[in-house]
Amino acid sequence: MLASHKWLTELAGFSLDSETLAQKLTSAGLEVESVTRHGEGLEPVVVAEVCQIRPHPQRDKLRLVEVFDGQQRSEVVCGAPNVPEPGGRVVLAQLGASLPGGITIAERKLAGVVSCGMLCSESELGIGSDQDGIVVLQDIDARPGTPIADALDLRDVVYEIGLTPNRPDCLGHLGLARDLCAIEGKSFAPPAVPAPGRLLSAPTDQFPQGDAVFKLSNLWSGNCASDGEAVGFAPVRVDIRDPSRCLRYGAALVSGVAIAPSPFATRYRLHVLGHRAINNVVDATNLILLGFGHPIHAFDYDRLEGSRIEVRLAQSGEKMTTLDGEPRSLSEDDLLICDGGRPVALAGVMGGGNSEIHDGTERVLIECAYFDPRSIRRTSKRTGLHTDSSHRFERGVDPAAVPAVLAHSASLVARCAGGQLIEQGLDVNPTPVSRAKVGLRLGRVETLLGLGLEAGEVKRILTALGCELSERPDGFDVLCPTHRPDMVREVDLIEELARVHGYEHIPTAVPSVRPSQRGTSPEVLMVRQLRERAAAAGLQESVNFAFVAPSELMDARLPTEAAVLANPMSEERSVLRTGLLAGLAANLRLAQRHQLQRFAQFEVGRVFLPQAGQDLPHEAYELGVMVWGQRALWYDERDTMDFFDLKGVLEATLRPLVGSHVTTVPEPELNGSAPYLHPKRCAALRLGQETLGHLGELHPDVVDALELTGRPLYGLVRIPDLVRLVEDSASPQASDLPRFPASIRDVSVVVDEGVQAGEVASQLSQAGGALVTEVRLFDIYRGKPVPAGSKSLAFHVVYRDPMSTLTDKAVDKVHTKVTRAAEQYFGASVRK
Amino acid sequence: MSEADTADVVTAFEQGLAEAAEGYAAAFGRATDEHALRAQNARLLGPAGSLTKLLKRMSQLPADRRREFGKRANELKRAIDVAFEERLSELARAEREAELSGPMLDVSLPGFGRLPGRVHLLSRVKHELLDLFATMGFDVADGPEVELHENNFDKLGFPPDHPATDMQDTFFMKGPPGSDPRATLLRTHTSTVQVREMLRRKPPLAVVSAGHVYRRDDDATHSPMFMQLEGFMVDRGVSFAHLKGVLTHFLRRLFGDDVPVRFRPSYFPFVEPGGEVDVGCGICQRWKRPDAGACRVCKGSGWIEILGCGMIHPVVFEQVGYDPETNTGFAFGMGIDRVAMMRYGVGDVGLLYSNDARFLTQF
Ligand SMILES: [Zn+2]
Repeated sequence: MLASHKWLTELAGFSLDSETLAQKLTSAGLEVESVTRHGEGLEPVVVAEVCQIRPHPQRDKLRLVEVFDGQQRSEVVCGAPNVPEPGGRVVLAQLGASLPGGITIAERKLAGVVSCGMLCSESELGIGSDQDGIVVLQDIDARPGTPIADALDLRDVVYEIGLTPNRPDCLGHLGLARDLCAIEGKSFAPPAVPAPGRLLSAPTDQFPQGDAVFKLSNLWSGNCASDGEAVGFAPVRVDIRDPSRCLRYGAALVSGVAIAPSPFATRYRLHVLGHRAINNVVDATNLILLGFGHPIHAFDYDRLEGSRIEVRLAQSGEKMTTLDGEPRSLSEDDLLICDGGRPVALAGVMGGGNSEIHDGTERVLIECAYFDPRSIRRTSKRTGLHTDSSHRFERGVDPAAVPAVLAHSASLVARCAGGQLIEQGLDVNPTPVSRAKVGLRLGRVETLLGLGLEAGEVKRILTALGCELSERPDGFDVLCPTHRPDMVREVDLIEELARVHGYEHIPTAVPSVRPSQRGTSPEVLMVRQLRERAAAAGLQESVNFAFVAPSELMDARLPTEAAVLANPMSEERSVLRTGLLAGLAANLRLAQRHQLQRFAQFEVGRVFLPQAGQDLPHEAYELGVMVWGQRALWYDERDTMDFFDLKGVLEATLRPLVGSHVTTVPEPELNGSAPYLHPKRCAALRLGQETLGHLGELHPDVVDALELTGRPLYGLVRIPDLVRLVEDSASPQASDLPRFPASIRDVSVVVDEGVQAGEVASQLSQAGGALVTEVRLFDIYRGKPVPAGSKSLAFHVVYRDPMSTLTDKAVDKVHTKVTRAAEQYFGASVRK
Repeated sequence: MSEADTADVVTAFEQGLAEAAEGYAAAFGRATDEHALRAQNARLLGPAGSLTKLLKRMSQLPADRRREFGKRANELKRAIDVAFEERLSELARAEREAELSGPMLDVSLPGFGRLPGRVHLLSRVKHELLDLFATMGFDVADGPEVELHENNFDKLGFPPDHPATDMQDTFFMKGPPGSDPRATLLRTHTSTVQVREMLRRKPPLAVVSAGHVYRRDDDATHSPMFMQLEGFMVDRGVSFAHLKGVLTHFLRRLFGDDVPVRFRPSYFPFVEPGGEVDVGCGICQRWKRPDAGACRVCKGSGWIEILGCGMIHPVVFEQVGYDPETNTGFAFGMGIDRVAMMRYGVGDVGLLYSNDARFLTQF
């Protein structure tokens, strides 16, 4: 909403400097987002009188105009077609003037003749949209040399106010002025309707709906004698077929208008408020819109068939062309204004082309109505037509203001367009809107705000906003104004009291928070710890969008049955991810495109899996880790990360959280559940017997499909499982420190390449029984004399008896069992 | 053994002792490292050393001379040992001195081990904010990102077909054929957690929650997915003054003790009275320097909008089955992205979600 300082000041009846005013509005919840000063910076631009006009020696279209600027005469070159005769007044930008368009006026030659200044058009001055000719000052008594800002009264400050949707009353200057008066503790009086210049009376049979007829003249101040009885009007009738959508409909007639451009002051006011001037009638309706916040519509009465208005719902598929020239196909949910035969307006949204005001319009029918806000909103949304009118109707205009706004409108149209107002108007009100009656307890005000307000202050504020108060023992009964549809409950009034009194005057207090009942949820805590551990283990956290392209899921071999967005912004972001791999792969692709040499990222985020029969998908946190490229060792750049780098990172991340070792074991089912992993270079990630996730090289086909290079490694931890395991596991218990020395013997075992060293170690340990405290791999050897396809694994076996020092003999005995077991289980040849 | 033989042995001892006594000090002195010194020592006292060999012939000496030679040999041996040890420690000292005064280690070479990782800016800010509220006694809760229309709008008092819903352009989820096309959606704010927690628990409550939310917006200041923090407190007698107290304390902890905080009225359907909170712009610090020049962060206003807040609307209490007469409470919400962008000088919100390693490693 753009608001003019000058207009607000006129309506409020007092003035503030613009900075104070902006600050007052903002602190009352009418946030001033920007302030534009008009009429400044136009010096030296002055009124000048045309003295003499000569043709240009070389160019037909240019003329040499000698002007007097109050001090001296100078000659300017001008190409405009409308330079007035000598004695006429024009606007001269003198040498050195800078104009809003960024033009600076300097002496310059135009086709060989020096021009000492420029005669300006409205658009060059930034004071209007007219660019067809220069400004010619008529009806303005300004002496040559008067600064143009003074001559045309251009100075104004325009506030851009970010209105919240609960304040339709402030979508017009009147409502803003009323609020301003309440804030400043001043009384507010709505402006009286000025009497029109000329008046006609309607014949008695003009309006067949007798009970809806009212005299507009009852609403205006001052007298206006009737020119006689209007002739040549067919009887006007308004029929409302759907009184739940059109609650009130007022109509007035103005006869004998002459369509012409509005005077400059009107056009300028519309201009600074962001509206284009059209003609005197349409401009008048826009002034009413901006002044009262109530949209009205002007029809060309002579283009309405049957002198009749019917308000009804459209039939499905019914068509009409709105005045923007667009054909519209309507639904049964759209409200229409029709004449005797066809739609003439999409109610509250936009008029129709078939009945709009045109240059030859002589008689005008003015509509001022109140429509159901939700109905207007649905039509506006469906048609994509968001207009100044729909914006106000869908937020709720004041139904009680219909007669007064109608009287203002008719009077203004008559005055602007030189017409005769028909004294009688129609006010059809099938569904009266009653004022909300709300009880307000002063005690409740204090409870909610932490600030007690005196009854007098409460009364002052609410009365200023338009409420009527009657006292009761604990406070007031309040009758709320219809221009405030947001006031229906006690709390709505308390908000008004706080707002107008000022939030800054409410004290600051510290509540006694009762001790936290639950603390942090275990999952939130785990997610956070994982983040910190993973970062400490050398990984960079990434945050990817939850929505991905369906093809990304397919390429990454993630579940493709995903939750789908109904209105995505693009196909690339149209389904919710079913795994973190898609996002991390995209990040790696980006890094590879940027020719980075290494990549180590993780994400802790949610994946979304649709569940049959459930409204909402299952959401679960996962930890995803992707590493690729050079190891962090600077002395060997060819050294790339492999499975064990990823394993090491996952161990470093998880071990401090789970308190014991995680193990990686081959699991045939992984090919099914994690098809994106290399079938021979992958493992389940286990804690004890429980599987927490998996890790491995990406399947080479997946690497290709994802447009990656090299051998990226991906690991996944399911966080709900991790949380459960950590919650279930008891704290580790201390055991006695060893009192007797250990004996260490080595054993080397030659096994097939496919045999897992971990399995060998665990068999060796089992075979040795209680005396074996540790079996530790210390070497892997391939090559002669070990046969091809085999490897030699060398272990330290640590023996210890907790109760005594072991003798060599005793150790030899157990160690023999251990070596035999190796031979027995793995067909291994033991290297002695 | 003959007289002559005996005399030879005596002579050999005399000569051997004399030679050994004469040469060792100089020989040790010539040795410039431990190895050479030990070799010199071994020539005398090693298994094949001259003195060792001589001492092996002790029994060939006449009985009356043995005692005398034995004593002289042992004294000499002790003297050599002392000299050896002295020289040894002298050499060790010299070596240490040489190292201590020698060339500097190239300490600029990269360290071994992992490159450092980082927690994402958004996570860092999120945890910092959550911690501030946790220390004030708030519980930290969580809720789903795909939500029911009910929890995101209806239970928060958004009227149907009301312009208030325009403030939050929503992503809806595709339901099964024939279902209400607006039934499920990506949550547009974390206030859904407020609804869920209130439905699940009874007052008194003080809960804070943070997470991703979604709106159909994509430009330099809006990302279609972004991060919000939401908190609320419900108890008997909680007032707007308490709201001001808690949020002022929070903002001063976050932005500094002297930062001005401004509460002004605004509108959100689920709170009333509703408000927005501004803090003084930390870039131009106009509250200290009123004549500070242009500022691209606050556009010269001196204020940065940071929070939305208000007293929980009685409609919300009715929706979750709390008595709106006995219970009062406040709620607030803020954009985490915005705080992260302010703190780390990030101009485009898209960078926060770019996951470009070249961006992430800057912090
Ligand atoms: Zn600033």
